[in-house]
Amino acid sequence: MVDLATRTAPVPAEPAEFPGVSIALGVPLARWSLRARDAKALAKAVGHKVPTKIGGTEGGMACLGPDEWLLRLPEGATISMGEGLPLSVVDISERAITLVLEGPRAIDVLQSGAPRDLSKFAVGEARRTIYETVEMVLIREGEERWAVDVWRSFAPYLREALVTAASHLR
Amino acid sequence: MILIHCPYCEQTLPELEFAYAGEAHIARPADPSALSDEEWEKYLFIRANPRGRHNERWRHVHGCGRFFNAVRDTATDNFELTYKAGEPRK
Amino acid sequence: MSAHRIANGGRVDRAATVNFTFDGKAYRGHVGDSLASALLANGVVLMGRSFKYHRPRGLLGAGAEEPNALVSVDRGAGRFTPNLRATAVELYEGLNARSQNRWPSLQTDFGAINDRLGMFFPAGFYNKTFMWPRSFWEKLYEPAIRGMAGLGDAPADADPDVYDATYAHCDVLIVGAGPAGIDAALAASASKKKVFLLDEQDELGGGALADPLLWPWLAESLKDLAKLPNVTLLPRTTAFGYYHDNFIGAVERLTEHLPDPGHSAREKLWRIRAGEVVLAQGAIERPLVFEGNDVPGVMLASAARTYLHRFGVAVGSNVALMAVHDSGWRDVFALARAGVGVAAIIDLRETVDRALMDEARELGLRVILGSAVFGVSGRHAVKGIAVARADGALQQKIACDALLMAGGWTPSVHLWSHSLGKLDWSEEWGAYLPGTPNENVRCVGACGGKWGFGKGLNIGALPTPRDPAKIKAFVDFQNDVTAKDIALAVREGMKSVEHIKRYTTNGMATDQGKTSNLNALQLASSALDRPVQAIGLTTFRPPYTPQTFGALAGHAKDALFQPTRKSPIDPWADAHGAVFELVAQWRRARYFPKTGEDMHAAVARECLAVRENVGIFDASTLGKIEVVGPDAAEFLNRMYTNPWKQLEPGRCRYGLLLREDGFITDDGVSARMAPDRFHLTTTTGGAARVLNMMEDYLQTEWPDLNVWLTSTTEQWAVIALQGPKARDVIAPLVEGIDLSSEAFPHMAVREGSICGMPTRLFRVSFTGELGFEINVPAAYGKHVWEQVWAAGQAHGITPYGTEAMHVLRAEKGFIIVGQDTDGTVTPYDAGLDWAVGKKKPDFVGKRSLARPDIVASGRKQLVGLFTDDLGEVLVEGAQIVADPNQPVPMTMIGHVTSSYWSATLGRSIAMALVQGGFDLLGQKLYVPMAGATIGVTVVRPMFYDPEGSRLNG
Repeated sequence: MVDLATRTAPVPAEPAEFPGVSIALGVPLARWSLRARDAKALAKAVGHKVPTKIGGTEGGMACLGPDEWLLRLPEGATISMGEGLPLSVVDISERAITLVLEGPRAIDVLQSGAPRDLSKFAVGEARRTIYETVEMVLIREGEERWAVDVWRSFAPYLREALVTAASHLR
Repeated sequence: MILIHCPYCEQTLPELEFAYAGEAHIARPADPSALSDEEWEKYLFIRANPRGRHNERWRHVHGCGRFFNAVRDTATDNFELTYKAGEPRK
Repeated sequence: MSAHRIANGGRVDRAATVNFTFDGKAYRGHVGDSLASALLANGVVLMGRSFKYHRPRGLLGAGAEEPNALVSVDRGAGRFTPNLRATAVELYEGLNARSQNRWPSLQTDFGAINDRLGMFFPAGFYNKTFMWPRSFWEKLYEPAIRGMAGLGDAPADADPDVYDATYAHCDVLIVGAGPAGIDAALAASASKKKVFLLDEQDELGGGALADPLLWPWLAESLKDLAKLPNVTLLPRTTAFGYYHDNFIGAVERLTEHLPDPGHSAREKLWRIRAGEVVLAQGAIERPLVFEGNDVPGVMLASAARTYLHRFGVAVGSNVALMAVHDSGWRDVFALARAGVGVAAIIDLRETVDRALMDEARELGLRVILGSAVFGVSGRHAVKGIAVARADGALQQKIACDALLMAGGWTPSVHLWSHSLGKLDWSEEWGAYLPGTPNENVRCVGACGGKWGFGKGLNIGALPTPRDPAKIKAFVDFQNDVTAKDIALAVREGMKSVEHIKRYTTNGMATDQGKTSNLNALQLASSALDRPVQAIGLTTFRPPYTPQTFGALAGHAKDALFQPTRKSPIDPWADAHGAVFELVAQWRRARYFPKTGEDMHAAVARECLAVRENVGIFDASTLGKIEVVGPDAAEFLNRMYTNPWKQLEPGRCRYGLLLREDGFITDDGVSARMAPDRFHLTTTTGGAARVLNMMEDYLQTEWPDLNVWLTSTTEQWAVIALQGPKARDVIAPLVEGIDLSSEAFPHMAVREGSICGMPTRLFRVSFTGELGFEINVPAAYGKHVWEQVWAAGQAHGITPYGTEAMHVLRAEKGFIIVGQDTDGTVTPYDAGLDWAVGKKKPDFVGKRSLARPDIVASGRKQLVGLFTDDLGEVLVEGAQIVADPNQPVPMTMIGHVTSSYWSATLGRSIAMALVQGGFDLLGQKLYVPMAGATIGVTVVRPMFYDPEGSRLNG
């Protein structure tokens, strides 16, 4: 594990608090993009359960597409890179940061710029989607808790947009 | 903003998650070098561009990432159906 | 006394006084007033000047349809809003409103001379008059028209307000909270459905607000709805557009009615997706067309009733009614019962409903049937009317101070039309009603033709004893279109309503013809002697009423206009004085000026530092794609022009990517990390495009290949270290990699660590010098940069930006895709034959390289240019000619793509695309510029170290 003091994040570490919602930078994570035709073979290669329905999650594993998964594990975790196998394991730990929205109004803040109907987004669901023009992976971790994985360079814009939306809540 | 059904996600979702990708069922020739200039020109540039029913490609670019096919009426913008890439023309 | 507040009644709070100003004069109104009702209560009837003739105008209506009373509201710096309808401006303490389109004042307006010169402004005036010469249009006509015509002034200051926005989803969306809309909401809310009820007014109730008998029901219903958790009530919210798949755009006004907007957002954009839409937009009363129908004090009968019952304001003390429809009678009865004097009821019909006649008699009102108003006296306010029988007989004058018009009703089918629902002509209504829907939508109440307003006539203009060609009887009040304009348009050959509309500008003003479309149709129908249905109907388009740009932009303002992407190293550059530029959405350090340096000096210094010592450059924005799987090499071999299968792990290769049409679309150096894993790089701006293109081929052309693509652009921070001392700088920082030239040659990649961080270390060069590109996980990019920076101090390390990078690569003749290529340049045109695998049977774009146009001679080819004058730096984009003395227009044979001052060479250098350029080496060409013609010599585009000896430091 590397020294935390050497890390930088594109958004402030301090959470933004509003009545009904907080917007905070999530802890660093180990992340992999996993690709394979055969979910079983992938599960065997990386040693984690692999959900097969798009939008489904299993532990830290989310199915984003018919042959695509996102695995999010605590920082420092390692998995097999699947050398030589008909699959793809790519370390994307630092490609994104996580914004965590928590509170009863979190859904309203996200819905301010996300065109999907988030009331139909189930707890435990994870999908790649969009907020205004910015792509994100949205994970509903609890009834009132949402994790947003967003590429680093888009994170300041997204955080600012979410904070702005939260500041307008009535 | 139209709604589009992604045949992979099996969800009907806002257009903003998708990107248009041109006419469907125009397969790249297996051996382009065997094609005459006229045949290659047809593959590269000639498109049906109908008023009405159009087989076309979309990509769920901000979703599952898959290219798929759709039948859309170019006059009304109404989608008749969508189907997975590789399935026969509908 | 004319317009005035009556003693009792209305929904305004008479205990709460509100001070406001109009054209600088102070007035008082009450809480619950609109600006329009408050002005009327103060006896003000003159509220605006018309668009073309500058005629004095008062209120026509009481709602969104108002065409005349347009005002500007000034809320302080940057908060100036023109063209608001006084009927839709809520009164608040300190409201500062003014009239428009007049100079020097509303009472005395010099522009009104246009009214006297009306014969010079017929229909099609603009089309006929301002045609040529062209220079007159730019220098004379347009400025003059802009000065004379137009509506309010556009605000000049930046808008200090913020705006909110959201998406929303509901099962049932109801537009319009009149009786029909409220009933629909109550019915829908009985289920578990999520219901939205929108209304553009501050108070929900619609037409019920002007009907005291309905007030108890209204209060009860709204109380019930407010209690329901599944119902959202949105007053002050205008549904302005109805788009595909039941997507509705609406704007909620949050602070426009408040004396102090505070820090709240001014407006909120609602983007609503509804399962079902219920339109309950009501109907708009039609004016009648006769001479003098625009004199202030002539207004819709229903508006007079609204002012009376909702606001407690009488529009006059002695009003007359001109009706062709029953509803106006009932409006006048309401006024009479409230004690307002009624001069006469004039109806064009010879007979009307018995009940109406009885009630008129009961109220003691004078009734004149079979007659019409043909003139109005008074210029700034109604003084009287002239009436005659339809055949011109029995002319008489009647004194009055207001004239009400009852011309029938037009259902508001605007949103229905946006949704592409069909419209059917109704003879009974004399209007179009909703027919077959195109979405899951239904119309209720008056907008669906389901409301009992009574019976009436459908007519274009009232009969007049005067010559119709010599009078101004207005159809479109806001755009000053008269009945004779429409007749003229028809005479001049316009047969379709679309042509008549554009020729006369009827319905093209900010009110979009809400009160004029149907009258214009009737007039055109008469003039063409064809049924109304045969002339067509113009299409309603969003917005239903004008909306602010701020509301439509929503959050997308200032910092949220669009994302500004910054690399992990950006904070360091910012702290070290970098001047930035935007490349796609990325903010990149362009150069790092020292005190007193301009860009030219800074870039020259940065370039020399790289050539002599070592420079450090943030290359993090380069696109990166990880290509993984057993078929990775096969896939790249099909995508790129050059061979990839034999590339050994640990080695790099320059890849050139063509589109299928044979033109260069991207390039970059890529590395084979393992037999089944490649690390690709793309241009900064091309990253997303290249990934999409590769995904397309992979998913749809070669789905059998076992290979996958993952964007790693943002996984890695990339620090380029370039210059003869690059190795010396990193040597003490790197572990696990032998940096010697033998072990780690040019175009190789190694994995190890630097400053304790894992790295993919590339030995590559975009400058021609010994160079490394240090890839480290993005979160540690700044840390590693700072360590390298510190270690480089002993070696004269210099940060350089994109400008120096451009110069350094140009000195080596390396292209930048998108600068030296423009989507029409093949590898051969760019002199990159060496990057094309001649033996490869296929790759994307290969077949096109044999297309007749691609192999033809005379294509533009990339060459270098030396100016005769060493110090002359050509302008990028400048055109090149062979003969500078030929007459204009000259034959242009190419253009400059890149041009710089090269401090290394002590002269300017340039690259250019020139027809047959490869055959012109050593030849003289010319760049004609304003004031001078610059002589240049064609050279190979390789200006520095052609042997590549410096790559080894």
